[in-house]
Amino acid sequence: MKITVDGRELSINPNARNLLEALREVGIEIPNLCYLSEVSVYGACRMCLVEVDGQIVTSCTTKPYEGMKVKINTPEIHRMRKTILELILASHNRDCTTCDKNGSCKLQKYAEDFGIREIRFQPMKKENGVDKSSPIVRDSSKCILCGDCVRVCEEVQGVGVIDFAKRGHETKVTTAFDTPLGETECVFCGQCVAYCPTGALSVRDDLDKLMEALEEGKMVVGMIAPAVRTAIQEVFGIRDEVAMAERLVAFLKMMGFSKVFDVSFGADLVAYEEAHEFHERLKKRERLPQFTSCCPAWVKFVEHNYPHLLPNLSTVKSPQQALGTVIKKVYSKKIGVSEDQIFLVSFMPCTAKKFEAQREEHRGIVDLVLTTRELVQLVKMSRVDLNTVVPQPFDRPYGISSQAGLGFGRSGGVFACVLEVLREEVGVVEEEYSTPMDGVRYANISLRDGTKFRGAIVYGLGKVRELMRHLEDFDIVEVMACNFGCVGGGGQPYPNDTKTRQFRAQILRSTMGIKTLVSPNENYYLVKLYEEDLRDEEARHHLIHTNYKPRRRYPEKDVELLPVPGDSKKTVKVCLGTSCYTKGSYTLLKKLIDHVKESDVEGRVEVLGTFCLENCGKSPNVLVDGKLLSEATFEKVLKELGEDV
Amino acid sequence: MERTLEKVEEVLKRYGYKRENLIKILLEIQEHYRYLPEEVINYVGVAMGIPPSKIYGVVTFYAQFSLKPKGKYTIMVCDGTACHMAGSQEVLKGIEEEIGLKPGEVTKDLMFSLDQVGCLGACALAPVMVINNEVYGNLTREKVKEILKGIKEKEREMANA
Ligand code: SF4
Ligand code: SF4
Ligand code: SF4
Ligand code: FES
Ligand code: FES
Ligand code: FES
Repeated sequence: MKITVDGRELSINPNARNLLEALREVGIEIPNLCYLSEVSVYGACRMCLVEVDGQIVTSCTTKPYEGMKVKINTPEIHRMRKTILELILASHNRDCTTCDKNGSCKLQKYAEDFGIREIRFQPMKKENGVDKSSPIVRDSSKCILCGDCVRVCEEVQGVGVIDFAKRGHETKVTTAFDTPLGETECVFCGQCVAYCPTGALSVRDDLDKLMEALEEGKMVVGMIAPAVRTAIQEVFGIRDEVAMAERLVAFLKMMGFSKVFDVSFGADLVAYEEAHEFHERLKKRERLPQFTSCCPAWVKFVEHNYPHLLPNLSTVKSPQQALGTVIKKVYSKKIGVSEDQIFLVSFMPCTAKKFEAQREEHRGIVDLVLTTRELVQLVKMSRVDLNTVVPQPFDRPYGISSQAGLGFGRSGGVFACVLEVLREEVGVVEEEYSTPMDGVRYANISLRDGTKFRGAIVYGLGKVRELMRHLEDFDIVEVMACNFGCVGGGGQPYPNDTKTRQFRAQILRSTMGIKTLVSPNENYYLVKLYEEDLRDEEARHHLIHTNYKPRRRYPEKDVELLPVPGDSKKTVKVCLGTSCYTKGSYTLLKKLIDHVKESDVEGRVEVLGTFCLENCGKSPNVLVDGKLLSEATFEKVLKELGEDV
Repeated sequence: MERTLEKVEEVLKRYGYKRENLIKILLEIQEHYRYLPEEVINYVGVAMGIPPSKIYGVVTFYAQFSLKPKGKYTIMVCDGTACHMAGSQEVLKGIEEEIGLKPGEVTKDLMFSLDQVGCLGACALAPVMVINNEVYGNLTREKVKEILKGIKEKEREMANA
């Protein structure tokens, strides 16, 4: 398709989604503040104005057509853009020097590109509530209401925990009832942060804790995740470096780390264990499909939304927690250092890992999770030039990994690694893959022992919601919350868009290519770990397996349905959360209320409701004077209430 | 307060739990409770499978919805310039003495709620208050008390009948 742009004839892709994309493909980037190719078009910021056949239009909402005459540089357009920027800036908290996005903020960049030096409008202060209740930090005073986070959270991740609220100048992006994010169903994937054009969304900065530990003279041990090494070069202008991880090892040693291990070793460990778990389940045909469990955002997503499928999650810990446990519980003994003298820091592309490390069952293992961006910060403040650092190998024994283990950094990596183990131990006679849509791959595998299985590999939690409708088609499902897997994690440097993620996946592939070991079974130190320390089944389970629990989606609060004042009463609390509701808890509640009202117990029995008692697997649930009745019925509740009722 | 969710279920069922009916559903529920309690919004979210953030967004966007309880009798006291000069403070005092409410509050039995508003366009009658669309003008502290006493009396009779 041919169009004219500022008098030049250009040939553009006729199937481009809109004029903005079409021009981007030929190297012309129209300024934009609310357009993302990954989600639906919003068309609100008006920064992307262009003139088409004499009319000013927003290029993100305009379809290209043959022969259209486009002007992208007219005094009028420049004036309008400047006005829009000034309007946005007038109500923006412009603390650039201390902002997390300083240097990578789109708004800041445009203010500079368009030479905004003064703002003609009255400054309008926005409510300055900073939500620091979770690894995802939200500061509404910096929000420009582009809605990118809202659409990413809902359309890509299928979570939808934030949305626009209120109207007019009071409009803001927030959770239901302004609940702190840490108490909601947010899975902390950080994808909203990855796309926020300003500093309104950022990730909790924990670097101070590292400094404290170094100062206290603890034995600081580090471990680096696969995806970190793919992204750090972007920031420092290094190209195609396959020894990036080894440079980082050397750098961390300079910073005072005693040992630096490779999380890819943990990935080998996890895949090895998970492959056996899967093969067992497959033989017995139980708890299928098996879900991978190394993505903590996905795990939390299941806990909130699909509690009845928790048994399907592999019980193997994530590489971070599995390797962490081995370091704290096994390694510490070998080197004769007490585990509380070891300060274990993991470097992750991931924001959800910060949450994972703090989960009750994982306390005391990983002491600190730092994102790739925090590592970048550390490099920058140390003034070390990574280009000049001589690469150094990871420390033994947890320093080597197979190609497949390193592959955990991108979507499909866990599946491939599990398959490597099965190939080695059982043998694979046939494998066949298909890609029904972007972000979803299907696999059909036949093993030498005659078993066949079907796998699905998915990224983006929104797509998982679709997959849930035909789960019975699969025996194993790999899920990574972030698009393209961990290379696109919420803790990775900006920009963190599709193009950058694909590039990182490519670097990871080259880095895998130079590894000599193919499958975890060839990992000599892994074999040794199994022989020496994980031989005993019970000990192994204790060390590298874990458990999950249903999680409520609403803050814990009693709903007064039929309250009774005073203390001499019996209290019945009926769960109205999704699982229990679906299992008929309302009908049960109605029966109870009718019974209480009709019989002479009114005034002695109070009826309350609640949203989720976190026992969703056995719904409906009812609490009678604090005692939990699972799979409750009207009769069960009456019996518990006692004779006189 | 008793709040059995019976009405909520009835409305939801009538509208087939359908997303496109969300606003109608919320309006009807609000008519019943005179506002939208947080737990009712959460309940609707569970029953309809809509994230609570979306419902919160809708409810805070449209002026018709209220997240704060309103009384059966909503009292609006004008504090525009004319009314202020003519003694709107006296009106407020009268209300506080009779039913113990300050602006922004609701009585425990949800009978009365009180808000202070800007000019109501009836300055000739200043000071002015409006109770459920009925305008009362030329008020004094005593007159206000009489009016409220009258309403309470009427309510009592209705309750006994
Ligand atoms: S971290 Fe993920 S789940 Fe939480 S608000 Fe952001 S996109 Fe949504
Ligand atoms: S928080 Fe960021 S992404 Fe979300 S609406 Fe505000 S500026 Fe846009
Ligand atoms: S895909 Fe990777 S980076 Fe993203 S949340 Fe999951 S584990 Fe973290
Ligand atoms: S990018 Fe087109 S309107 Fe915002
Ligand atoms: S919905 Fe979770 S226990 Fe009832
Ligand atoms: S100032 Fe009260 S009605 Fe105008």
